[in-house]
Amino acid sequence: MKSLPEITDKVKKNLIWKSIFRRDYRNTVRDRAQAVFGNVFLHLHPVQVRESAVKLRFTWGMGGITFFAFIILVITGVVLMFYYHPSIEQAYTDIKDLEYQVPYGVILRNLHRWGAHFMVIVVMIHMFRVFMTGSYKAPRQFNWGVGVILLVLTFLLSFTGYLTPWDQLGFWAITVGTNMGAATPFLGYQGPFSEFLHITPFNDVRFALLGGALVGGNALLRSYIWHCVAIPLVATILMMVHFWRVRKDGGISKPQK
Amino acid sequence: MANENKNNSSLRVYLFVFFSVVLLALSVWVVWDDEFGLRPWKKYQEDYKTLKHDKLERDYKKAVVEFERSGGHKKLAELEAKLDKAEAAFQSKETQEKYARLNKQLDAAHEALTVTQKELRNLRGQFLETEYYFTKTQLPEYKAKMDVLQRQIDSVGLRVAAQQKIEDSFKESLSIVTAPKAAIQGEIEKMKNPLEEAKEKIAKNEKVSVEIKQIHIPDIDKADRCQSCHIGIDAKSSVSSVQPFTKHPLSVIYLEKHDPNKFGCTFCHRGQGRATTTAEKAHGNIKHWDEPMLSGDMTQTSCLNCHGDIKGLRGAEKIIKSTELIKKYGCYSCHKIPGYETVGDVGPILTEVGTKVNYSWEVKWLMDPKSYSSISRMPKFYFTQDQAESIADYLFSMTGTTRHDIDNTKTKPDAKLVEAGKALWAQSRCNLCHVTGGRGGNNVKVYAPELSKVGGKVNKEWLFKWIKNPNAYNPGTKMPRFRFTDEEINSLVAFITTEYQDEDMEYKYVQPVEIKPASIAKGKELVQKYGCYGCHKMLGMEDMVQVAPSLKKQGVTFLRNAEMREKIGMELSSIGSKPVDMLDFGKMKKSISNDRLTYIKQKLRDPRGYRLGLRMPNFRLAESEINELASVLYGFTDANVPTRFLVPSRQELDRMAGVSSYKFTGDFAKVIADVKCTNCHMIRGIGADYAPDLSFAGSKLQESWIRNFLANPDVIRPLLQQMPKFGLTSGKPLAKVTMPRFNLGKQKVEDTNKTDVDVVINFFQQELLSSDIPKDIPKITSLTLPEQITKGKQLYDLKGCKACHQIGTDGGALGPNLTNVGNRLNPGFIFKHLENARKFKQDIVEPNYGFTETERIYLTNFLMTLKLNTK
Repeated sequence: MKSLPEITDKVKKNLIWKSIFRRDYRNTVRDRAQAVFGNVFLHLHPVQVRESAVKLRFTWGMGGITFFAFIILVITGVVLMFYYHPSIEQAYTDIKDLEYQVPYGVILRNLHRWGAHFMVIVVMIHMFRVFMTGSYKAPRQFNWGVGVILLVLTFLLSFTGYLTPWDQLGFWAITVGTNMGAATPFLGYQGPFSEFLHITPFNDVRFALLGGALVGGNALLRSYIWHCVAIPLVATILMMVHFWRVRKDGGISKPQK
Repeated sequence: MANENKNNSSLRVYLFVFFSVVLLALSVWVVWDDEFGLRPWKKYQEDYKTLKHDKLERDYKKAVVEFERSGGHKKLAELEAKLDKAEAAFQSKETQEKYARLNKQLDAAHEALTVTQKELRNLRGQFLETEYYFTKTQLPEYKAKMDVLQRQIDSVGLRVAAQQKIEDSFKESLSIVTAPKAAIQGEIEKMKNPLEEAKEKIAKNEKVSVEIKQIHIPDIDKADRCQSCHIGIDAKSSVSSVQPFTKHPLSVIYLEKHDPNKFGCTFCHRGQGRATTTAEKAHGNIKHWDEPMLSGDMTQTSCLNCHGDIKGLRGAEKIIKSTELIKKYGCYSCHKIPGYETVGDVGPILTEVGTKVNYSWEVKWLMDPKSYSSISRMPKFYFTQDQAESIADYLFSMTGTTRHDIDNTKTKPDAKLVEAGKALWAQSRCNLCHVTGGRGGNNVKVYAPELSKVGGKVNKEWLFKWIKNPNAYNPGTKMPRFRFTDEEINSLVAFITTEYQDEDMEYKYVQPVEIKPASIAKGKELVQKYGCYGCHKMLGMEDMVQVAPSLKKQGVTFLRNAEMREKIGMELSSIGSKPVDMLDFGKMKKSISNDRLTYIKQKLRDPRGYRLGLRMPNFRLAESEINELASVLYGFTDANVPTRFLVPSRQELDRMAGVSSYKFTGDFAKVIADVKCTNCHMIRGIGADYAPDLSFAGSKLQESWIRNFLANPDVIRPLLQQMPKFGLTSGKPLAKVTMPRFNLGKQKVEDTNKTDVDVVINFFQQELLSSDIPKDIPKITSLTLPEQITKGKQLYDLKGCKACHQIGTDGGALGPNLTNVGNRLNPGFIFKHLENARKFKQDIVEPNYGFTETERIYLTNFLMTLKLNTK
């Protein structure tokens, strides 16, 4: 029997361990900073944060929780994609099978669904907090703008995901939603001034959203691609910008003393 | 400060621990729930396994008891002793030497054979190779090589055959050596076999794994997992009478024809086949699942999904009966229902109704048909007095210009004439179809009008013309033309108009009143709005289309899909599968259950109840009729049925093959059009099932008998299937229901100089023949005819035929009376009928006795002696 220090030694003093962790960790300011610098996941985060800025009663932690919800949605979403076909024949039955047959399908789908609701709520509370604390003011105007775009993207993620189960609820939601698009000025065929651009039901913004004049297979495929690939991609990039700007604009805003 | 920090951190630790425990507990719960909570079928399958084990265990014990009862142990011991002896003999030095020698020889022979076989294979390979090159190059050298190889193959082949023979002979010698032992071993095994089998079944049951059972129908992506819980549904016998372990009821009918592995369950039963987590979800008894499970008789509605023709379909009795209501009430008159395109009008022709009825009666009838006749099929349209008068004006304006009544009670006809009419009424069996005073109308499916109050309705002159020739007034009528003389008709009219008076009738227009043109126009508008022309033929309305939405897109005649879409909006064409969200519950939204079946039933109960402006009239159906009709409508779906499941109707098949369906031809068609034989009889698939099927009447019946019977049905009175249920007239009750006397044989069929009886007999003998039925029966020479008859009589008594059949007054009344059978039936038919009665009539109760051919000859000869003397 080897003693514990011997085993730890054996584990730590080899090339694999060293290539991953690079250095010993002593709980000093320098090492803590090094750990953050040296980690790809943490380097977006400032090395040091003011204590007052992380006070729960000031920030409510809503931005971080939104990001946390986003991560959960990405993970569960990717797993859900293994069980889902974006075709009108299979979409609904795939959802039913998630409920009835897929191992851990119920918690998987419910995490995704409730997580999505949660994210929408949390992101709005986050915006409310930012507004109430005046954190949109200079020098943070740009980041406020990015945040607004992220809010819209969150809503769009929610909206496009609504159609994917291909049930009555989603079907009519998309029907109504895209009909609203049809009433857009200039770009929707029912909207004002559209006649100047020769807009018809077959070349307007609704047609672009649905891939047709009705909610059908193409609309399902489009909303699937928007939901799973396009919007998350853009949102991820904007989130990077968002976090990075938080640092560059002087960290999380803090209460005035 | 430091103290505060410490307090804070210990609080954080507590919180951390607390939430960690919660998270852990949740994770454990998630795993447990996913494994067991959401998969209740696992327990059902375990339980089923236990139940089945118990049953097999019982079976095994029974087998053991049986084994012991038949002295199995003793026999087994004897056999084992024998086996020991045989073994000893086998082990003797001599035999062993022989055995070893033979084995060695066999091995050697086998080796030699293998070598030669290999050589043969090589040669064949070379031959194929050479052949390939030859076909490619066409060089003669390859051809030559092929010939050489072929010769080699032949010679080696002979050698192989010879060696094979040698090997076989050694094998045989060996088997002779081991034969005694093997025979006894075989016997022992045979004895033990039932026990082994029972044991094996138990072992097999143990090995059955618990797993989801799914039937997948790929072409429509249907996945039914019902058998995950209903594990024994397709078993031959139930292990328990408790759900979900029972077997399918009547599986002989339902499952044998519809293998569950091919059809799944939800095709017929609906419900949610994919659901496995709870019974409510799987059975579809949850909100937002439009298809709750169908069980019991209601399931028969699903027959309509695939079967084009459900007539005579076993197991579909309920839905067959219910479907009759569509014809009864003429739903197809207003709604498009495929399969009913050629069914005639449900209501009488109205082009000359002004010459037929009293104006006052017409108005009263329009306002409430049931006030005149409780069995009337005409629905109530809720017309006001004013509206009814307008419609009556419109109808009367086709043949005249006045509102007019004739009060039949004012004229008193000669009593003698009435008496004669009464006798004729009884003799003609008018009550067979028509109801008077709550009696009669036994042949229900003709839907003849009730005549209890007809005296207040009809015009006498019209009635005379009508009885004389019904086709002249209404070519599509079911009323036959009785060949009455004018005096006879007069007496009948006198009897009807005096006997069946309407006491409540008020004759307001005995003095004719001029009709106002404005009222006619208004009447026409109403007729158009409510679609009277759907059920009644009317002048000026010939080209009108249907007023109501289609009830069915697919089902009985699935090929008409395209045709239907042209006419009717898709969204209303498949009521039985219409999404519940799309049903307009209107005012009833909160007061009735929001499901499809309830919707249909409520619509039938109160057609205008959902909202204002609906036009469907109220048929005032009984609750039982509502249920039946709803079950049919529920079966009109656009269910996604793979074409291979569809069973087209005879008509449909004929249509696809370009064959026209059976039609009567020649003079016989004229007789049919006149006498309407098919009101009661079925002939080659046309007609009703009230009276015997005449499809093979030519082979079945003797000519002289038909002749007598048609001329005078009362005299011979063959006692057919019907039992007496009621007296047909108020006067003397008749013993049996028989065919009406149509007075055939008196007149010539138009354009010919044959009498109608001759035409009928001619058609029977030319057309209605079966190639299966011989003219005569085989002869037996070993016995004389009287001897055969005696034998037949003995058989008749021995088999207890008289339990059901009557000869004279002796015997039961379930089967046909045989008193005069020798005059009625052809011997060939009796002979064939005794072989297999079901061949001619599916639902016959006669058992199959499995007579031999000789027995059938004896019986036939005996039955042919049963003749009633009728001069």
